[in-house]
Amino acid sequence: MIEQFKGVVLVILLGLFALAGALIPGTQIAYAHEISIALTLIAVALGYRIYRHGIRSLLHKNITAQLFATIAIFISVIAGLLIPSASATGTAEAVGYLTASAIVAFIILAGMTLEDYIIHRTRGALETLIKMSPKTARVRRDGKEVQVPIDEVKKGEIVLVKPGDNIPVDGTVLSGHSTVNQATITGESIPIEKTVGDRTFAGTLNENGALEIIVEKVAEDTTLAHLIQLVEEAQEKKAPIQNIADRFTTYFLPIMTIVSSSVFVASYFTLGFEAALARTVTVLLVACPCALSIAVPVAVAATIGNASMNAIIIKGGTHIEKLKDVTLVAFDKTGTLTIGEPRVVEVKTFGNYSEADTIKYAAIAEKFSEHPLSKAIIAKATEMNLKIPDPTDFKTIPGQGVDAHFGNKHILIGRKMTETIISVEANQLMSKVESEGKTVIPVALDKNVIGIIVVADTVRANSLEAIQRLKRLGVKTAMLTGDNVRTAKSIAGQVGVDEYHAELLPEQKVAYIGELKKGNVVAMVGDGVNDAPALANSDVGFAMGAAGSDVAIETADVALLGDDLTKVEYAISLSRKAFNRMKGNIVYAFIWNIVALSLAAFGILNPVLAVVLAEAGCISVVINSALLLLSKPKPLAKIKG
Amino acid sequence: MNIEKVILNASKTDCTGCSTCADFKADNLQHAIARLNGVSKVKVDEITGKTTIEYDTQKIVLSKITERFEKLGYKVEIVSREEIQ
Repeated sequence: MIEQFKGVVLVILLGLFALAGALIPGTQIAYAHEISIALTLIAVALGYRIYRHGIRSLLHKNITAQLFATIAIFISVIAGLLIPSASATGTAEAVGYLTASAIVAFIILAGMTLEDYIIHRTRGALETLIKMSPKTARVRRDGKEVQVPIDEVKKGEIVLVKPGDNIPVDGTVLSGHSTVNQATITGESIPIEKTVGDRTFAGTLNENGALEIIVEKVAEDTTLAHLIQLVEEAQEKKAPIQNIADRFTTYFLPIMTIVSSSVFVASYFTLGFEAALARTVTVLLVACPCALSIAVPVAVAATIGNASMNAIIIKGGTHIEKLKDVTLVAFDKTGTLTIGEPRVVEVKTFGNYSEADTIKYAAIAEKFSEHPLSKAIIAKATEMNLKIPDPTDFKTIPGQGVDAHFGNKHILIGRKMTETIISVEANQLMSKVESEGKTVIPVALDKNVIGIIVVADTVRANSLEAIQRLKRLGVKTAMLTGDNVRTAKSIAGQVGVDEYHAELLPEQKVAYIGELKKGNVVAMVGDGVNDAPALANSDVGFAMGAAGSDVAIETADVALLGDDLTKVEYAISLSRKAFNRMKGNIVYAFIWNIVALSLAAFGILNPVLAVVLAEAGCISVVINSALLLLSKPKPLAKIKG
Repeated sequence: MNIEKVILNASKTDCTGCSTCADFKADNLQHAIARLNGVSKVKVDEITGKTTIEYDTQKIVLSKITERFEKLGYKVEIVSREEIQ
């Protein structure tokens, strides 16, 4: 901030000195001419940042606009002070050369300062993340609460977080109950409940209750810090398209040397020394290799910054270019398109029994079972606010079900409990539900079926929209799963994927990705851990729900920190936009340079106009690239391929 | 507190262009290094890549700092190293 302020002050000072230097000759002050020269020279000197860049870039064999500007300004100053014709025809022209160099220095310095500012803003996304992690924490030490700097907090200590404060560490809730907004980490803006035993992330917002948290990771080791570091690293990784821009800039010096010396020679013989000098200076000032070289890195940084604000980590410029070409997205089913754990989706009842009765008796029998299906039933009972007493006795029969007693009632759970009397009606219903790929659990009381609990892995709320978004973009979709054909068909129908492939073993998934890659650029979306090989074999591997899993983030090319699958479309759309902008910027900068150089070579521009053109070219490219930061996901209806 | 001052040469091949580009890279590098726990001062020269860092040796080791440079795509070379406090 201070440096930016310093930059602006320098620009203003330079402008004031140049202005004073230009105005004084018109006044009656004694030694007006000498004072004017002195003021103008001071103005030129205030542009030292330009020459510093110019000279040092020469030493490091880097060709920059500042190098050309330094040469041009130096020539103008010398010309203003020394050219015999200038002194012969009076002082006016000498001052004219000097004034022009001061104005040129002013415009270039102002341009550089503005670019610095815009580029600094590109870091904005990252700065927001960084600000989310508190610098201090309240720690319980020797029975007292003390506020300590975050880097003095140690693993295993207990931190206290008040309502409304950001959580300072990664850890586990020891006591308390609250809702926490984890948008910084997962992009999910709806707060989630946290209670004893739940994990918390540094940088997330504790909303309404006080929490005591056991510290697991602090400072640089937290998930948030890792994310920030990843984004920083990704922004530094260049996109392949930059090589094109780099190739242009390599040829810049030889081309400029040829162009400027031919312009000088040609105009020297036709127009004389002074005009030749003026044109050469103009040619040097109009050249703007900057626009070419800056176009891509700023766009890459802005795109990755934008993605990170949307809880997407794109791990480098290369992946932006791959993403834009994606023609098919393959999804893993379990845990990706679906939630990944069975839930009670329906309860059918018989006779006078209610839904609550069925769930209650099933929950009593399953109360002490660890089976995933039991958990689904217990969860449903909790959701319905049912009180579940302990069973009098129970016996789990592996692969079949549960046989339990509650008081004098005999409960039988499961399809394969032979004692259960299943009515024709119940049997038909069960066959129908099973054909939809769901699991049925009959519940019998004293051997008669009182109800059927239907359990299934449910599709995520936004899976359907995620697929629709991709379709509108013109991207094909596929689902790969190890599950049976029936279940796969049911889920594929619900989310609307173009094709599905069931009963695939992990290595078959990898092979199948290879098949899909014939004729398609394939992105694979999975959890990043079990699917790691398939992700690695695809052109772009997406890991979803990656927050908190370093492995998933590590293996993926793109990590979706939350579990919002609509972000897949956004990542592709954003990359397409970013790539088009990079390409557009390179073409634009190239044409701009050619046109401006031709105008300068034929004497249509003067030095001041030349430098205005060059700076305008460069700044417009920088702004155009930086604006990628402001891009937002479109509503479904507005997506176009 | 045990402060050491180190001067590094950090180089990267992919910036051929103008000062804007160099400033941009230097700005990013400066922020990334400054956020390391234990680093108290960082100054990156935008053109030469010469970086001066002051850090607390009890909080961070030099290899951690150079590792960060490498992860950001820089080649580093230690020019000088001295204890200043």
